[in-house]
Amino acid sequence: MSKTRFLILLLASLGSWSASRAQDVVLVANKGVQISEITNADLRAIFLGTRTRFADGSHAVPVTLKGGPVHEVFLKSHVSESPEEFRSEWRKVVFTGQGAMPKAFDSESDLIEYVAATPGAVGYVSRISSQDRVKVLAAVK
Amino acid sequence: MHLLSRYLLLFLSICACCVCTCAGTLYAQDSAGIAVHGFVSQGFLFSSHNNYLSMKSSDGSLQWTDGAVTISDSLGDNLHVGVQLHMYQLGEFGGSNLQVDWASGDYRVNDHFGIRAGKVKTVWGLFNDSQDIDAVFLWILLPQGSYPIDHKSFYLAHVGGDIYGALFLGKRAGTLHYAGYAGQSTVDLNDGYIKQFAEIGLVFTDSLGGKTYGGDLQWETPVKGLTIGSSGNVQALDGTAPTGSVHLPPTFTPSTYAKFSRGKFYLAGEYDREPINATITIGSTVIPFVVDGRSWFVMGSYRVSKKFQAGSYYSHYVNKAADTTQPANYSKDWVLSGRYDFNPYFYAKIESHFLHGTSLGYYASTNPNGLAPDSKMLAAKIGFTF
Repeated sequence: MSKTRFLILLLASLGSWSASRAQDVVLVANKGVQISEITNADLRAIFLGTRTRFADGSHAVPVTLKGGPVHEVFLKSHVSESPEEFRSEWRKVVFTGQGAMPKAFDSESDLIEYVAATPGAVGYVSRISSQDRVKVLAAVK
Repeated sequence: MHLLSRYLLLFLSICACCVCTCAGTLYAQDSAGIAVHGFVSQGFLFSSHNNYLSMKSSDGSLQWTDGAVTISDSLGDNLHVGVQLHMYQLGEFGGSNLQVDWASGDYRVNDHFGIRAGKVKTVWGLFNDSQDIDAVFLWILLPQGSYPIDHKSFYLAHVGGDIYGALFLGKRAGTLHYAGYAGQSTVDLNDGYIKQFAEIGLVFTDSLGGKTYGGDLQWETPVKGLTIGSSGNVQALDGTAPTGSVHLPPTFTPSTYAKFSRGKFYLAGEYDREPINATITIGSTVIPFVVDGRSWFVMGSYRVSKKFQAGSYYSHYVNKAADTTQPANYSKDWVLSGRYDFNPYFYAKIESHFLHGTSLGYYASTNPNGLAPDSKMLAAKIGFTF
């Protein structure tokens, strides 16, 4: 293989790696949620069921996607768990009678629909075109 | 067809219909807040020597089936109710009867304090409350020194009340989770202890039971992934049979544990103690039954890929009240395991055991020619959960 072809291939693979690493995650919440930012510690506690309230004391309802790269990046970045660990943790909660799994959606549009209609709901999507229906939360460390 | 097989076939058919017709909500069937979850698994066990867990495992045994269905609902932000029905067959244990695994109401006042009442799984050690949920573990058999599958009804759940909550201590101090409970627990007539009593001539027709109370304190430390905890359980037990009785005064069983999970790695360890000082009466003969059970295990696993996880553990149990050089008074088990998840619902596991000692898991009725001191075992399971 010529050097040029090799370099093109190498750059292409680096590009796709960069693209997958740069998967964006946007935190969205119901418009009634008063906070505008949330810590990763709070996100982890809310999405693992330890906390049911935001820092301001209002009720939090976590919602998730069922799978996909956005789901994976959100869990790794903000909950410090893989999708498999997250699923296993919640199955333990359910089958020991300690709680109910967060609602999970197949598509980002369904998730947005639910978050918009549910007081206290918080979830994540890859991008959001407008903040008419939901608000965006900033994640802080 | 065996009655249990008929129930399982019906259960699996219901599960298949639910999954196929409601593909949009594959995590559960959810109708107006009601959530339905379930699991079913089928196991196989082969042992090179001895018959284990009342199965004819030396010939290879498929007498290892269990399944459960959970129905729950959230009635508002703070109140959650639910019930889980479970049935299992493990060798001669279990049967076709549906049992109530738990049935409770849970009111969460806030994140620091909640109340649970009804039949509730008992929190003790790393895995007591989840030990019968095959779907959440890499392992087919949990360390038997701490979580003997044939004796699980003794500790698994209680009828009573629990309090629980979390105290958030800040970024530098972590989170403290606590649980406390009091109530009554019952030893199921299909339990291994009942079979052991029967083997010495004490045949119980009514369940044994007694008061229980205890608690668990778990510290999610500021070191990412590290949790340390300790539990204590006090259990009393009384039972009367036509030919005698058994009495266990309130007995304290402590557990100390730690787990570390980061990225693809998982490590855990636990130390438990079970000091038994019971009295068995058969006719006019009074027999003291003294056991000082000391058990510990260390385990580790690695997620090789999204679908495959592998791990190993060493489990160590001795009865310090007897001669610990005798195989009948110890059980030491080296285990290798692998789990493959075909998708989020179907999985398969394979596990090998290198078991030394005969203190746990063996019954005279299925080993009439006595026991070899060591045995190698191969276990396999397939499961479905939703």
